[in-house]
Amino acid sequence: MATASAVGKPMTKEEKKVIFASSLGTVFEWYDFYLYGTLAVIIGNQFFSALDPASRTIFSLLAFAAGFIVRPFGALVFGRLGDMIGRKYTFLVTILIMGLSTFIVGLLPNYASIGLAAPVILIGLRMLQGLALGGEYGGAATYVAEHAPHGKRGAFTSWIQTTATLGLFLSLLVILGTRTAMGEAAFAEWGWRIPFLVSVILLGVSVWIRLSMNESPAFKKMKEEGKTSKAPLTESFGQWKNLKIVILALVGLTMGQAVVWYTGQFYALFFLTGALKVDGATANIMIAISLIIGTPFFIVFGTLSDKIGRKPIIMAGCLIAALTYFPLFKALTEAANPDLAAAQAKNKVVVVADPERCSFQFNPTGTAKFTSSCDIAKQVLSAGSVSYDNEAAPTGTVAQIKIGDKVIPGFESKGMSPDDVKKADADFKKAISTALKEAGYPAKADPEKMNKPLIVAILTLLVIYVTMVYGPIAAMLVEMFPTRIRYTSMSLPYHIGNGWFGGLLPATGLAIVAQTGNMYNGLWYPIIFASITFVVGMLFVKETKDVDIYAKD
Amino acid sequence: MWKYVVGFVAFSALVIWVLSKGGDIDMSGEKHGVDVAPAASAASN
Repeated sequence: MATASAVGKPMTKEEKKVIFASSLGTVFEWYDFYLYGTLAVIIGNQFFSALDPASRTIFSLLAFAAGFIVRPFGALVFGRLGDMIGRKYTFLVTILIMGLSTFIVGLLPNYASIGLAAPVILIGLRMLQGLALGGEYGGAATYVAEHAPHGKRGAFTSWIQTTATLGLFLSLLVILGTRTAMGEAAFAEWGWRIPFLVSVILLGVSVWIRLSMNESPAFKKMKEEGKTSKAPLTESFGQWKNLKIVILALVGLTMGQAVVWYTGQFYALFFLTGALKVDGATANIMIAISLIIGTPFFIVFGTLSDKIGRKPIIMAGCLIAALTYFPLFKALTEAANPDLAAAQAKNKVVVVADPERCSFQFNPTGTAKFTSSCDIAKQVLSAGSVSYDNEAAPTGTVAQIKIGDKVIPGFESKGMSPDDVKKADADFKKAISTALKEAGYPAKADPEKMNKPLIVAILTLLVIYVTMVYGPIAAMLVEMFPTRIRYTSMSLPYHIGNGWFGGLLPATGLAIVAQTGNMYNGLWYPIIFASITFVVGMLFVKETKDVDIYAKD
Repeated sequence: MWKYVVGFVAFSALVIWVLSKGGDIDMSGEKHGVDVAPAASAASN
């Protein structure tokens, strides 16, 4: 068993194989994550566009459930299996389910061919993927950590975290390669299936390698001694001494880690292209460069956590992120779109509205309809990424927008015919767009005026924060729980943290921006949650680097 | 270790090259709804 200290010794061939086999599954996970993002519109057109609005709303909610709600349940289902029958077979099952459901999407007939069955099967496959995904990360982290020598768990498990970048890059290569080779039209028609079908290669390699692996030594020993848990769920969540640690792992670790990660990789990209109007291709390259520079830091911080501890690095990451997000994102504006920064300083945009007519525009599935003049005005401005101030108007008045000296009246769409709404909407947007142009607001960021090295430096710093909170997290989660309930107990807080707190960041951030009008205010979401994690983590989470993970077996 | 570094650098260079050739692609990760083109109007009733 790998309990002896092995600090200073190079990795053995078997250890490398363990890390490779486990990481391949998480590469798959990320590959799939990005496929659905990148191909969302094409998939929507193939499977959902012919549905009536009510059915589309239902499917949106189901797709939302597949992405968010199902994963923690997958953590429970597969975590329980992993603690009862073993890590090896469980994460063999998770990768098979995940891989086959991805592959089948590539073969699935579209709505035009089989009607309603097409979106129903697609959502079913997404649910299966979500379930399997809930068991994948916990399995990989547990398996690697239980093979790692004492004193090297941080270094070993940090390799798993690098797979987020590798999965993204792999999806980009396959999608862009296919799209370029066959042309846009053929790709939208049927070529989008190829990236899903290609995943079978990744699946084959993963299954082949995982079949040749041995069970984790910790689990094997426990099984031989007949000490495996008969009811991991009851033990994990039904006993306060364990439940308390699960809650601490969520609130004091994964919640903050997730929001820092989502801000560094996704919100930064959204901010660049949405708020700062940097063209997509330029923003993508700058994000990719920052990921390339930042990714090795997963290993750096994972390894460092074996020496100075997991807690100081994760807590420092949360704290520094919370303290520096506002100045960093403001610097990003100055560097990426100085004209926008100048226009914002010179000509304020103000929404004058009856507060009673303004709602919190939380719309994660994109299906909510806004009809009040206040909501419409704010939605148009936030969709155009215009920062604005709010001014209260007397009760019952229709909202209006002031841009510099110009006043643009809004409209209430309730009771109007669809054609009238369309016309009023188009006129409203045109008036706003003209007024913004006259006030010096740029329609696009000027590439000549961008300070690209500075943008990349800021983005890289944001990725380094991600590596600080994410690099040591797997080792820390593994070390918090005994072998008999480890898979179950660590999977749930990870997926609630990342799926729910992280996954809701873009929609919540956007809603906060639309509500308050300030394009930086979406940052309050990660700042608040990272701060909560910092405080709870500092007060209640214990350092684990020296924990003997076999001690409580 | 140097093999990993070389492999990562080569892989990264390939990605940057592909992105520079036709990189206008959505990199914002999984979507949690049903997106169809064209996008719905902001002020739909």
